[in-house]
Amino acid sequence: MSLVRKLKPDRSISGVVIPISMIPIFGIAVLIFGIQAGLYTLAGLMFVFALFYLYGFFRTFNFTQLVISADGAFFGSMLLFFEPNFGTQSVGNLEFRAAYMSGLIFFAVTLVLLAVTKRFKWRGREIFELAGESIDETGNGYTSRPRPVGKVEYSPEQIRSFVRFCGRNMIALPYNSSNNTTLVLVKMGDEFGRLLGFSGDYRDATWVNFDMNGDVSVHISQKDYLDYREPLAFDQLCTSLGQVFVDFLELYNSGEGVRIIDRMNDLNFGIFE
Amino acid sequence: MNFSTAAKYATLLSKDYAEDIFALLVNYQAISASEVATRLDLHIKTAQDFLESFAQLDILSKEEILEKKRPYYRYALKQNRILIDIDLMQVRHEPTLNGLSILIREKEDAGARFTTARSDDYITSVTIWSGNGRERKERKIKLTTLQGKFLFHLPFPKAVPLSIAEIIKKADMDESVAPEILDLVQLLEKYEVIEYLPVQ
Repeated sequence: MSLVRKLKPDRSISGVVIPISMIPIFGIAVLIFGIQAGLYTLAGLMFVFALFYLYGFFRTFNFTQLVISADGAFFGSMLLFFEPNFGTQSVGNLEFRAAYMSGLIFFAVTLVLLAVTKRFKWRGREIFELAGESIDETGNGYTSRPRPVGKVEYSPEQIRSFVRFCGRNMIALPYNSSNNTTLVLVKMGDEFGRLLGFSGDYRDATWVNFDMNGDVSVHISQKDYLDYREPLAFDQLCTSLGQVFVDFLELYNSGEGVRIIDRMNDLNFGIFE
Repeated sequence: MNFSTAAKYATLLSKDYAEDIFALLVNYQAISASEVATRLDLHIKTAQDFLESFAQLDILSKEEILEKKRPYYRYALKQNRILIDIDLMQVRHEPTLNGLSILIREKEDAGARFTTARSDDYITSVTIWSGNGRERKERKIKLTTLQGKFLFHLPFPKAVPLSIAEIIKKADMDESVAPEILDLVQLLEKYEVIEYLPVQ
């Protein structure tokens, strides 16, 4: 049986290019300033990488972000330790190798396990696929306006708790204000721009908003809408996206949050998709 | 009195020589344009136009005088008081049952940009572009909160259209807001952001 997805295949490479770009930057630094400066540059980049994921942890409280941050900090530190001893016997000594190998094995195994279990996967594509799943009608009708999709009978605290759950499981990135709680959908590869604010105002992205009265509204950005293979009926798509989150909220509040993750895992998206 | 008539009065009365001409009209039994012009050191055309305009507004009477020279007019005051009375309610868009039952929705590819409020569910402004190339112009329409709430609930392009009354209800507003909503709907329809659909 072949599964035809509503979304186009993910051809975005930004998620890979940004971390990988550390290698050519290291190479260029070595070429221009020598190996010492190159190692310092690479260590600096590792710390920046660690800081980014530390920030990601504080925005989402997803513990895998903390592991990646620790990974960056560990290898950054090893490089700083390595640099003054480069070319000396102390680099090859037993203590250094033991420290390096223990860290390498720990982080390699942990990160592989986290990746395979999709613990550090932004679930934007899964959500879009779930929203588009029930829609067969095509006909575009795109508008940049948000759409009110209904009302939920939950207290602000219940909604906030659900939003924290969404952040923790990287279902969406939460933004809180006095009257609203907004969940911005993030696809793998888009997290750098979104978290660092390079992707513009979050109100222009795709989001689901819960206000304090329980009113739910949805906005889909044109970029995300064009990610569907077909021009799905936009009105229905917005309603469906809102309904996905209303269903998630109900599941979460009935203590079945794990089923939300199961529903997304059942779609079998790749770990970097 | 309608706005255009009031505007004519206002324009004429705002002339710096208006009071002087009326002083002559009040104190003289009748006066010609050339007499006014020479008395106040105005151009005869200026005096003529002023007097003629008030004659058309029925404030002055004019009588044609036929002497040896070519005929001319003498003007006299017809009324001792000028009253500018505008009923502002005349420009109110009174909602009719028919007006509120018009089915509307956003027009596809309207090319408008809607800005949403950060604090609540309503649209704060609509930006519309008109013209092409270098003639392209941007017009930003700032909305009242009530208009913004209405627009927030406007059906999407290709969605099932709703009547204005239904959208007002959906936005949890009272029908007393209808005049300002109708004004917005008419404006956005003019700019092809909203489309009217026939009632089924």
